[in-house]
Amino acid sequence: MAKRDAPALSESKPAKLRARAAWANPELLPVAVVLACAALLIIATKILNPGSSLTQQLSAVLVTSIFLVIASFGQGLTILLGGIDLSIGVVAGLSAMMISVLTDGQNAALPWAVPATLAFCGAIGMINGLGIALFKVPPFIMTLASGITFFGVGLGFTSGLAQQPVAPALQALMSGYWLGVPIPIYLIVGFVIIAATFQNGTAEGRQLYAIGSSPQAALVFGLPISGLTILAYALSGLCAGICGLLLAGYSSAATLDIGDPLLLPTIAAVVIGGARVVGGKGIYVGTFAGAIFLSALETIITVLSLSQGLRNIIEGVIIVGALLLQSERWGALRRWSH
Amino acid sequence: MMSLATRLRPARGAAIAVLIYLAMYFVYAISEASATSVFAITNLLDNTIVLAVAAAGLTLVVLTGELDLSAIGVIAIANVVVATTSAGVLGWFGSLVAVMLIGAAVGLINGWLVVGLGLQSLAVTIGTMIACEGVALVILAAPGGEVSDTIANGLTGDIANVVPVAAVIIIGVLALWFVFARTRLGIAIYAVGSDENAAGLSGLNVRRTKLLAFVLAGVAYGCAGYLLSAQTGSGDPRASNTFLLFMYAAVAIGGTSLTGGRGGVFGSVVGAGILTVMQKMLFALGAASFYTNVFSGIIMLVALFVGNLSGLRLRRQRGAEWQSATPRP
Repeated sequence: MAKRDAPALSESKPAKLRARAAWANPELLPVAVVLACAALLIIATKILNPGSSLTQQLSAVLVTSIFLVIASFGQGLTILLGGIDLSIGVVAGLSAMMISVLTDGQNAALPWAVPATLAFCGAIGMINGLGIALFKVPPFIMTLASGITFFGVGLGFTSGLAQQPVAPALQALMSGYWLGVPIPIYLIVGFVIIAATFQNGTAEGRQLYAIGSSPQAALVFGLPISGLTILAYALSGLCAGICGLLLAGYSSAATLDIGDPLLLPTIAAVVIGGARVVGGKGIYVGTFAGAIFLSALETIITVLSLSQGLRNIIEGVIIVGALLLQSERWGALRRWSH
Repeated sequence: MMSLATRLRPARGAAIAVLIYLAMYFVYAISEASATSVFAITNLLDNTIVLAVAAAGLTLVVLTGELDLSAIGVIAIANVVVATTSAGVLGWFGSLVAVMLIGAAVGLINGWLVVGLGLQSLAVTIGTMIACEGVALVILAAPGGEVSDTIANGLTGDIANVVPVAAVIIIGVLALWFVFARTRLGIAIYAVGSDENAAGLSGLNVRRTKLLAFVLAGVAYGCAGYLLSAQTGSGDPRASNTFLLFMYAAVAIGGTSLTGGRGGVFGSVVGAGILTVMQKMLFALGAASFYTNVFSGIIMLVALFVGNLSGLRLRRQRGAEWQSATPRP
């Protein structure tokens, strides 16, 4: 009962500031819960599928999570600003198409094709950011509209046909092993370190939090709001672009709608990770946990061979459930943990 | 406060939308000789009504300052329910009642989660949308089913070979809207959307207003799904997937502010018309079909840009009214 006094203490300013400075803190508790749920799902998958080992299941979940891990970083940045990026699926699809068309099955073209593709995707994100920051178009609409528009452009260039030859190096990247561990897992580790460091360790990252939690205060402090907004959306486009490259390598043929199934799960991953949808709260490690959880869920649903319908119902209920937990119970948990 | 007349006057955006519609229809009519025949007009309106009714429902929620993505889920459920029951157990009327109830139930869940538990409407309705699509897939896993002939023929033809049924439905929707906008609830929806705190202080029940907006929107989505079934004649759990973008495009093009309080169903119906006539126009001009996407996106952004400009002007004007009103007790 003595803990009852804790909340009052935590409301005082220095305590709050200290909490913000050590980015670990109470926000890690929900992250641990999500990761634990993912672990349970992976163990359950193994039990349901006795022929496989636990490490096999774990690496399968991790490898398929790479798309979500990368794309939801960008989504998380825009949500941190109180926005959203609904163009992610289209951008990933365009990226996959573009890399296939540019390389045409030749590794030799990769050194210039990869930067060109990523620059194109980053530029789409930048256009989103420009519209949102300078022309004050609601993020939701701006990204939706640019998504429709660029999908049309992609359709015009490719006539909607699947692009078959994907550079072998990209395919090798997604299916190869190094020291007995799938290469995508190394990519995930590297990406998570960079992403978490950017979002929670750099000045730009902290400024995004400031803008998200109070745009007015950020304006008063003289933060470069427009610049950071454009940066966040450009990074989101870039992440979607990387995702598209990997998708092309993974499925060895690119279609324009290859990224579409990715869009809603990126939002789900961010929400499950404990981010506040109106902005200003949420850490990347949480989003990462959300992505792993969704990937584990997808795997177990596949193993159970549940119908797509049940799969959707479960996913929808989990999103709403995560929102509910976040709004009330986790708030209480967080207060207790202080 | 704005006078009632000012509030109910169609927004500037809606007027622009009507002009765009007329211009596009004109281009379509001169480039395609048969465009003005009863058959072509019926076809055009048939293509419009599903989007128009869905966008009309969405408009109610958007006017209160919330967002709703659940529409495509509800349309999907309604479509498969009609395809599985209308030719059998429920008949055409029973299935209409069923889809309206389903829409109302989903709207109630959305509203309760948003209003009762204070969750973000965008995130909540993403969840309910996915779950509803799942329910639709459980009811009908693959395209199929059968829509009763009463629905399929009755809602797509012409009355006495002159008046398209779709035109009657659109006029009905607009008539309902003009009555509804003048009811207590209709006015409350605008008040809540333009300033929630002020609306609450002046005695309006903000929570109830938002909840009812979600429920009515759900009913509209259910009806849109019913109309979709009449068009397609069968059930497809994924038929509504492309609707989401175009519903918001219709609302935005019609001049409804996506932050609430400004606009109306009239504009959204015209917006839906624009998106449909645009496809016909581009096709008649011989443009490749992908231009439709590019055009939709650009028109949407232009509409928003114009809407933002007039919104700023309105806000400034309202600010002035507010200042002149404050000294009074």
